[in-house]
Amino acid sequence: MAQDQAQPLLQVRGLVQRFGGLAAVDGVDLDIMKGQIYSIIGPNGAGKTTVFNLITGIYKPTQGDISFEGRSIAGLRPDQVLRRGITRTFQNIRLFNNMTVLENVLVGQHTQLPGDVVSALFRLPNYRRAERHAEQRAIELLGFFGSSLVDQKDEYAASLSYAERRRVEIARALGSNPKLMLLDEPTAGMNDAETADAVQYIQRLRKEFNLSILLIEHKLQVTMGISDRIAVLDYGKKIAEGVPAEIQRDERVIEAYLGRKTAVE
Amino acid sequence: MATNTPAKTTSSWMDGVRRWVNDTKIAGRPLMWYLTGWRFAVIAVVLAVLLPLITPDMYQDIQSLRVAMISVFVYVMLALGLNIVVGYAGLLDLGYVAFFVIGSYTMAAGTAGQINNWAGKLINIPSFPFILLLPVGAFLAGIFGVLLGAPTLRLRGDYLAIVTLGFGEIVPIVFQNIPIFFGQFGISATQPVPIETPLGELSFTDPLNSTPFYYLSLAVVVLVTLGVFMLRDSSIGRAWVAIREDETAAEASGVNLTNTKLLAFALGAFVGGIGGVMNTAYQPNIAPSNFSFSISITILIMVVLGGIGSIPGVILGALALRLFDVFLLQRINDPVHQSALVAPINAPLHFLAGIDFNTLKLLIYGIVLIIMILLRPQGLIPDARRRRELAGVGAAPEGMSAAGLLEQEEVGGDVLGAGESLDTTEYTGAGSDAQGRE
Repeated sequence: MAQDQAQPLLQVRGLVQRFGGLAAVDGVDLDIMKGQIYSIIGPNGAGKTTVFNLITGIYKPTQGDISFEGRSIAGLRPDQVLRRGITRTFQNIRLFNNMTVLENVLVGQHTQLPGDVVSALFRLPNYRRAERHAEQRAIELLGFFGSSLVDQKDEYAASLSYAERRRVEIARALGSNPKLMLLDEPTAGMNDAETADAVQYIQRLRKEFNLSILLIEHKLQVTMGISDRIAVLDYGKKIAEGVPAEIQRDERVIEAYLGRKTAVE
Repeated sequence: MATNTPAKTTSSWMDGVRRWVNDTKIAGRPLMWYLTGWRFAVIAVVLAVLLPLITPDMYQDIQSLRVAMISVFVYVMLALGLNIVVGYAGLLDLGYVAFFVIGSYTMAAGTAGQINNWAGKLINIPSFPFILLLPVGAFLAGIFGVLLGAPTLRLRGDYLAIVTLGFGEIVPIVFQNIPIFFGQFGISATQPVPIETPLGELSFTDPLNSTPFYYLSLAVVVLVTLGVFMLRDSSIGRAWVAIREDETAAEASGVNLTNTKLLAFALGAFVGGIGGVMNTAYQPNIAPSNFSFSISITILIMVVLGGIGSIPGVILGALALRLFDVFLLQRINDPVHQSALVAPINAPLHFLAGIDFNTLKLLIYGIVLIIMILLRPQGLIPDARRRRELAGVGAAPEGMSAAGLLEQEEVGGDVLGAGESLDTTEYTGAGSDAQGRE
């Protein structure tokens, strides 16, 4: 049991991703424990999203290993990674714009539904039950964000507001019953009120869905407020890691964000 | 929003067509109301069932409307099958005729009684019943769909189209060059023993009584259509649309891209195989030269004309083009030839005597397609999603009024517009970190 506690949910070791001559990610180690909200911060181009793409299988790592619940997931396809229990949202929201809100969330439950032709063609009882259940579940997931999305479930995703689309994307990501959710700048482009709201539902996500959350976030007031732990990336390398208070004081972090102090006198 | 866009310069007759579609009312309802959803299905099936009763019994006339409709049914199936691949999964297949060939040859070889062995010597083989060959042809075509799809589906857009085009050319050439099915001479399905049905003897190649086979084809078409509907409204159909919309997001939502695309290919091919078997069942003589690239293109035009991704649209597109081909064209050709022939040699229209409209068929299709793309890029009966894509994402007002449909088309682009998902996916968000760095 004690060993279980020490075992990180997601463990990243020596992760390297090169694009041609450029090492976008250069030897990053991460340990995300169960139930944590873990943030990755860093200046633009530090390799944060690349780390996400490596974890979720969009890129295959050049070097290094990623293991989830003790099993390696490096090199798996995105849909296989999702089946292991890691889900994500995208920095520039990637909803299916010409599908309805409900359909978007139903696609998110794809792995939970029978996918064989025979059950679909003949609408076998198990298929109909699964579809009915998926629809109820989709409405539940939309209901997580209050009734407004439920009311708009038959609207096309493209017609929603920006903040609403971020929420639908999270609802879609929840459809696979994940254990770990990767949120890529979940408050990007939001005003203060919407950001405050987002912070609240990220915390509720952890509580109500028993999720661990890995977060990329630019707004420091967001990350400092909700993170259990923060890693700072710069030029593809992890330059600091710790609890928010440590990060705020860390010289290298300040340097990366604000530039080096130079002796003028 | 249509009012903000600069008005396209359209001639008055185009407006006239638009107004006609817009204003035509049948029993107080706009025309489009009848052409959507279940109403279309009911109307189409009722008309199809009644057709043999209300058309004169022109037996012995291979060009009778009834026999023409059997051919229409075949093409409806082919168009529905191609629509799975092109319309739902968004994969451009230019070699769909290959699956038609495989279905056709299954039926022919299965009933011919005699084929060659590898050495080119005639051997007798048993003749199988139609009811067995129908699924066999469909499954064989489906298997070839997988065989074609597996190595090629990693290609995107134009590249996939080129490979499928090649496959469509290769399959007939293979049949032409292997001796088993008599090469270029082709093979003939023999008439199976007629089956007694309540409607009369169900025979397959008897031009004297096509009614039973007409109803059999109709039944198969209805079943295929129902099947396609079921697939579209299933988790599989949703996954296809998701892939078309955004491959990366679909994959991140747990959709296995390879398998799901392969499934679209296989099911499209399956339906094409059914079409092939049905076709040979009533037109028993087939040869490799019957299956040209133009068939693939014709089926694709049917899909585009009717409305990519729209089941009623695709059915209407197939009906329109195939009826034109087998029923109308000859009826234009003959009188024109006759009147031009009897006209004096220096009469202005005498040159028409030298023109065979059959050879102009593809030209006419091309012109029709261009007019459609200018006037109504979303197709005759557009799919709701496609309508949105062509109207510009997020801008389209909802509602299925004919007026709305016609307005939206003003802002439409080319027919494969709106970043046609045949090849869109780039990991935009994904690469930005690495590439954004200076």
